Amino acid sequence: MTNKSNNGFNTWQKSFEKETKKNFNDAKSETDEGIDIKPVYTKDDIENFSFVENNSLPGQWPYTRGPKASMYTNRPWTIRQYAGFSTAEESNEFYKKNLESGQKGLSVAFDLPTHRGYDSDDDLVMGDVGKAGVAIDTVEDMKILFNNIPLDQMSVSMTMNGAVLPVLASFIVAGEEQGVDRSLLSGTIQNDILKEFMVRNTYIYPPEPSMKIVADIIEFTSKEMPKFNSISISGYHMQEAGADNVLELAYTLADGMEYVRAAMSKGLDVDDFAPRLSFFFAIGTDFFMEIAKLRAARTLWAKIMKDFGAKNERSLILRTHCQTSGVSLTEKDPYNNIIRTSYEALSAILGGTQSLHTNSYDEAIALPTDESARIARNTQLILQNETGVTKTVDPLAGSYFVENLTEELSKKAWDIITEIEELGGMTKAVKAGIPKLKIEESATKKQAKVDSGSRVVVGVNKYKNPKEPSVDVRVIDNNRVRDDQIKKIQAIKESRDTTAVEKALANLTNAAKDETNLLAPCIEAIKLRATVGEVSKALEQVYGRHFAKSLSVSGVYGKHFEGDQEFMKVENKIKEFENLNGRRPRVLVVKMGQDGHDRGAKIVATSFADMGFDVDMGPLFQSPKDVAKDAIENDVHAIGVSTLAAGHKTLVPELMKGLKEIDPKSKIIVFVGGIIPEQDYEFLYENNVSAIFGPGSNIIESAEKVIDLISDNLSKV
Amino acid sequence: MDLIDNILKGERAAIAKAITLVESSKESDQQVSRQMISELIKKPGKSIRVGFSGPPGVGKSTFIESFGSYLVSQNYKLGILAIDPSSQITGGSILGDKTRMVEISKNPNTFIRSTPSRGSLGGISMGTREASIILDAAGYDFIFIETVGVGQSEIVASNLVDIFTLIVGPGSGDELQGIKKGITEYADIFIVNKNDGELKIEASKTAADYKSALSYYKKLDELEKQVLLVSAIEQTGMEDVIKTINQIIDQNKLKGIFEERRANQLEYWIEEEVKNIITSDITKRLSSKGNISKYSEKVMKNEMSMFEAVETITKDTLK
Repeated sequence: MTNKSNNGFNTWQKSFEKETKKNFNDAKSETDEGIDIKPVYTKDDIENFSFVENNSLPGQWPYTRGPKASMYTNRPWTIRQYAGFSTAEESNEFYKKNLESGQKGLSVAFDLPTHRGYDSDDDLVMGDVGKAGVAIDTVEDMKILFNNIPLDQMSVSMTMNGAVLPVLASFIVAGEEQGVDRSLLSGTIQNDILKEFMVRNTYIYPPEPSMKIVADIIEFTSKEMPKFNSISISGYHMQEAGADNVLELAYTLADGMEYVRAAMSKGLDVDDFAPRLSFFFAIGTDFFMEIAKLRAARTLWAKIMKDFGAKNERSLILRTHCQTSGVSLTEKDPYNNIIRTSYEALSAILGGTQSLHTNSYDEAIALPTDESARIARNTQLILQNETGVTKTVDPLAGSYFVENLTEELSKKAWDIITEIEELGGMTKAVKAGIPKLKIEESATKKQAKVDSGSRVVVGVNKYKNPKEPSVDVRVIDNNRVRDDQIKKIQAIKESRDTTAVEKALANLTNAAKDETNLLAPCIEAIKLRATVGEVSKALEQVYGRHFAKSLSVSGVYGKHFEGDQEFMKVENKIKEFENLNGRRPRVLVVKMGQDGHDRGAKIVATSFADMGFDVDMGPLFQSPKDVAKDAIENDVHAIGVSTLAAGHKTLVPELMKGLKEIDPKSKIIVFVGGIIPEQDYEFLYENNVSAIFGPGSNIIESAEKVIDLISDNLSKV
Repeated sequence: MDLIDNILKGERAAIAKAITLVESSKESDQQVSRQMISELIKKPGKSIRVGFSGPPGVGKSTFIESFGSYLVSQNYKLGILAIDPSSQITGGSILGDKTRMVEISKNPNTFIRSTPSRGSLGGISMGTREASIILDAAGYDFIFIETVGVGQSEIVASNLVDIFTLIVGPGSGDELQGIKKGITEYADIFIVNKNDGELKIEASKTAADYKSALSYYKKLDELEKQVLLVSAIEQTGMEDVIKTINQIIDQNKLKGIFEERRANQLEYWIEEEVKNIITSDITKRLSSKGNISKYSEKVMKNEMSMFEAVETITKDTLK
């Protein structure tokens, strides 16, 4: 540092300290990632980097500035909106409308039964059919989904991990029956099973056979589908589950490394498949951090792939899709979500994403309506056409702050990646449950910051809207969807060649035993009209179904509230309750149906326990009947149902019925939390639900309400 | 009492409420509970009570899921009392055991109750013995008592059951030298879990280590301690476990050990109850007099020695 600049900085520091009445060194603010953000950055902050290279250019090593030289100046990012609901017919209509309005690529959301490899007529999935995505039971559904959408021209992204084989097979067969050869199909299949074990829970088989399936798909597509991305390595769901950006970045890249190894173990050369690996990140509200994350991701991946011995330049380049954060959306004052999403979208663009989904403002409540979907899409169209952000490549390059942040994130992520590698890679870490626990810890911290008010969420814990607007939502009649799907399945089962189907399924089971590539026998079975559920079961015979162990963090939430009045008030109420009743209030926290998003349930469990409740955790994927048995045997005072996939209208009444069947005099009260449209509140209250907590509910206030409800209920004779 | 009739009928809600009563720290609940237990004890069922203990991470719950599923498939009725160790210093606890007992928890022939251990000695909660009496009267064939194995817990737990089982993982053989003689006396069966996949060889080796080490401890009149290899995730070895349990029970009955144990346990229970009553009575007296702080001040000021203070307080309290 020259004396001159040093003098200049000292003068600045004095002025700063005079203005703020703070010591410069105390003026840092710590991010969720544990990075200290300084109030000012200078030239000194971009020196001595180990990852970022200061004079690099876009499209050149280490690709920090973007995968391509020209980036958006040549062609803007792809507007790729994720959508799907109800039946294939309705989703198809919705897609066609969107394409007419300027959307460029498709991104299919499947319903939970499809993800988990169950047909719509399976008893286990009663409440879930067509709810959070489209129901696909056979190739016929897939054909309807892409009716009048030419698959040789449209790139299609499919969020599918559990039932990845039958779904990809159906897509290939649907293409072929449209007259499109598989080599012409373009798009992406998510096929990222590791993060399912960490956060999203829509897996079917245990980790090892699941990894084999991933590798099979990479192998098959690298040989037969040159335009298709064989995997989308996703950090998105980690951030959604509460991971900070370092965890998201590190675990995603570590997952990527594991997939590369899995594919190489099939004898593939790294350059045979690496150019078709793609990534998927979440973009939250921490504006500069998110930009830095995308830049850091490219920087680190280039280094990782070089270490794997990649020679083809395209193997070194990380290409990614991004989606604005769902978890940053609030149910309270929902129009604020349009603004949040806009800034998140801008972050993703400045970070150099290849494609983007912008969330609709009502997604904290329900699936988007036509209107809200239009606003979401227009957010991107305005960025592309009105703001000028496409005219310069990587405009923040050289920013002292952004470059420094990129380096800091890279360093921190690299440390975690090194740790995972020392453990023996991500499959082992996932089996030990380490990443899941780390993410839950991070999620609990974040929630505590919001509940304690140390993090402001506009309209939720500050600047609340005195007149909450009412919002129209899309309603799915899942019973009707289910009936339609069941009829379709029946018709297909009657018209197909059953003997041939059975033979094809037996072949598939044998292939699983022989450890040969599973996609080809899967395509055969699907062609003959085997269902998604039948294919999944054929493999289940060999692999079994995976049940996750559930570990929990404790004490993380309570730590943020030492001395907090509200927190102590609830603690005291619980102590009083214990003195009066001879035991602590006991609550069973459950997820029902196929909805595996358990961040909310886990946070409620750990924070309630920190306040003094005894909390029973139910396993994932329970039926309402199982929950009732569990609740009664443990004589809990209350059941907390966490619902994020819209199954509550079917599942909650079933639970009430189940309780009364075992104990007609049951006094167990039921409260519901999660994504519940206001329109459903009355229905739930009519079904004797005692309280409803939407997204953004303060947990301490919710806990107080629950303990009050339990006490009131016990005092009633 | 209606409650008793309903328990005898095996009604789920009645059993659950009765367990709540025996676990309650409320005096009025305790009174009702004592009455109820006195009645139920007159109507014993035919339950065999089996204790399962072992260090964290060896897959106890997963084993119980697997073994329980096997028993239920043989038409046995199974009650499980899981003492959940995850209780905290402050606040409540998270009871996550059932997340590892997915299949058996659904079965109509099971009753599964988790109880927070609340840091009580040996991980056995207040009321576990009474809860097993309730399940016995309600007609359960087997009652499993699952505890986490830390220090003293085996001894306390073994006083509640007819047969006591220690679950260990592959590789734990090295720790054998460190195993106190106590455990080998109290445990009847050693189950080496995770006899699957890569761990298979290690598991067999561990079982062999246990067998040779245990032969040193064998007492003359006792059955040889059994070491079994199982895989909870692959559900192998379950038949051996039930066969061994039945064998030991039959043998013990034949030799009178079964009855002797139950008699000893009754003795232990009475002693514990008496101690509890005395302790809580003394604690009350101590706190109502509140003179400990008074004497400790004196000790601080060197007005009297610590031992004089103890003697004076003791005499004063027992008066």
